Amino acid sequence: MERLSDVKEGKYRILEILKPGKCKKLSNLGIFTGDIIEVIKPGPGPIIIKKGNITIGIGCGIAMDVIVEKAE
Amino acid sequence: MEEKIIAIAGNPNTGKTTIFNALTGARQKVGNWPGVTVEKKEGYYIYKGIKFNVIDLPGTYTLTGESEDQKIAIDFLVENKVDVLLLIADASNLERSLFLLVLLSELHKNIIIDLNMIDLAEKEGIDYDIEHLEKLFKVKFIKTIGNKNIGIEELKEEIYKKCKEVPSETFKFNYGEEVENIISEIESEINKLNLNYPSRFLAIKILEKDEIFINFLRDKISYEKISEKIINFEKTLKKPVDMLLIEKRYGIIHGIVREATIEKKKELKIELTEKIDKILTHNFAGPLIFLFIMFLIFNGVFLLGEPFKNFIDLLLEKLKNLISNSNFSPYLISLLNEGIISGVGSVISFVPNIFLFFFFFSILEDTGYMSRAAIVSDRVMHKLGLHGKSAIPLILGFGCNVPAIMGTRILENKRDKILTSLSIPFMSCSARLPVYILFTGIFFSKNQGLIIFSLYLLGIIVSFLTIKIFNSFVFKQESVPLIIELPPFRTPYWKSVLLESWTRTKYFLKKAGTLIFLGSLILWLLSYFPNPENYGSEFNYIGRIGKIISPLFKYSGFNFWQAGVALIFGIYAKELVVSTFGTLFGVENLSESLKIYFNPISSYSFMIMSLLYMPCLATFLILRKEIGGKWAIISLFWTFFTGWLISTFFYQVFTFLTGG
Repeated sequence: MERLSDVKEGKYRILEILKPGKCKKLSNLGIFTGDIIEVIKPGPGPIIIKKGNITIGIGCGIAMDVIVEKAE
Repeated sequence: MEEKIIAIAGNPNTGKTTIFNALTGARQKVGNWPGVTVEKKEGYYIYKGIKFNVIDLPGTYTLTGESEDQKIAIDFLVENKVDVLLLIADASNLERSLFLLVLLSELHKNIIIDLNMIDLAEKEGIDYDIEHLEKLFKVKFIKTIGNKNIGIEELKEEIYKKCKEVPSETFKFNYGEEVENIISEIESEINKLNLNYPSRFLAIKILEKDEIFINFLRDKISYEKISEKIINFEKTLKKPVDMLLIEKRYGIIHGIVREATIEKKKELKIELTEKIDKILTHNFAGPLIFLFIMFLIFNGVFLLGEPFKNFIDLLLEKLKNLISNSNFSPYLISLLNEGIISGVGSVISFVPNIFLFFFFFSILEDTGYMSRAAIVSDRVMHKLGLHGKSAIPLILGFGCNVPAIMGTRILENKRDKILTSLSIPFMSCSARLPVYILFTGIFFSKNQGLIIFSLYLLGIIVSFLTIKIFNSFVFKQESVPLIIELPPFRTPYWKSVLLESWTRTKYFLKKAGTLIFLGSLILWLLSYFPNPENYGSEFNYIGRIGKIISPLFKYSGFNFWQAGVALIFGIYAKELVVSTFGTLFGVENLSESLKIYFNPISSYSFMIMSLLYMPCLATFLILRKEIGGKWAIISLFWTFFTGWLISTFFYQVFTFLTGG
């Protein structure tokens, strides 16, 4: 288990989003717990993730609250 | 002529503006929504004898009352008799648009979906079973390629037909028995009231715990009872009910889209965008590319605009000569030349730069680079309490503060707009350069470049401090977390880029021009009366005011009335600081006269004051338009105060250190 802000490039599964407000913001864009995402640009600084056709930039403040694990 | 209202809604980056432009052409204008600083675009087109007034609603992913632009969209749909709601969907990313459709369908019944950029979806190997989608959502889907004008006639025809028909069976999203029961209970409470909002929409908002709507209804319904029910329901769910609703919507939509998607053979992979993104947002290369692009825009705006600006200045000069040589009375000649042409002309000569500014920015928006720029500059801006996008107008402030403040329209959040706009006046615009060149040429000829650089640096520092101070003591908010969609890179649609740039320039001309006219008139009256033969002298009101304010600068090292008058004229336009000294001291003796009144320390102190106080009347008026009169006045005082404080501090410290 790692924070999204600390991971390297690759595919990850979202295990938990810690703060409900942040969780809602991501959910409104179609990102949920359990989703498999691809990290295109890791930290430091904002992280860029991809899910399907959607590419989203996430500030490190939010990325720190997203718990992920490496997906095979 | 019969008139109809069409509202355009959609997620950001779905080609909403392109469709708006394709429908309305040049018959459009921009402004602000009443009472807020969110940009409002409206236009019209005539089809089959009906005038269709088209309103472009702010781009959004969801509909909550907590966000200013989303509240605007909600209220507009509720309070205005919108005949057709046109939802623009990105064909290659349909799920999120259908999510918005579910939300909008609680609010409005006559909806058409424009499946835009269908060509890009096809290139990705995606097509849809439209009949299946239409049957499920009970709305018409029209395929368009906005930037090629494909499907627009069909869209107009469908809008026309939709306006003529009575809304029949409409789509209703089913949240499942448990949730629907609670919605019905809340709805029955709301139904007792006679409100504009649809009761099911309000019931869902209450269930989602949307603060704005809870406050709206708290005293009208037995909210405590409902709240207790929601809390108990959440206990059984073990998750917030608003999250459950989002999950349900996306869950069902995901299934529908999967059913309706016809996968074809891919012609082009989108991986190119990914590869470019890795370079453009790279931690080291990204900021350098960003600065290089800003440098190109900065130069483009001012170098390409320069010949046009000079041409306008030449025309205005010729007009002035023509008036001077006319038979008009001296009073009228002065009013026209010194008052109106000098004042309004200073705005008109900005027009080429402003047009170019919007032109380059429309390109950045259209290509998708803007979101990348926000990512790249986020690290620095985040530390100040803003997010990345604010860096763009700030940097443009070095060119001219007026288009830079207008550029804050790219920021979605009101707080970000205010903070960025308050800090822009400290970015040293090109109009301040003549002041630096004059004084450094006289007092710092050996270190001219270094001294000018130090002033630019000081401007940046004060600008950042302003953001920090206002954020810490006025807004007291944590920085807004950055979540931004990065659209695939696209070729800009030139017609749309030109239209956008022109519409925004027109808005600037109309609004700022009118206000500048009034401002110019007031300054002219102060300079002309009561001694018309001594325009702008110590015997006129402006000189008297100069005398009144000059003691303020006693400890800054320039407490003589000419400096006061120059600073007052500097409010008009910073370039006038130099020309005022020229008029008051005579151009031939300017250097010698300034050496009598200033020494190196007081001249630097004067340059600090010129750098930091309100750049010009146009900046003040555009601040008033963009962030409101209250903040414009705060900015006026804040810039003056910081200018005075820092110039005084500098003068006192350096006079003490050098024993002067």
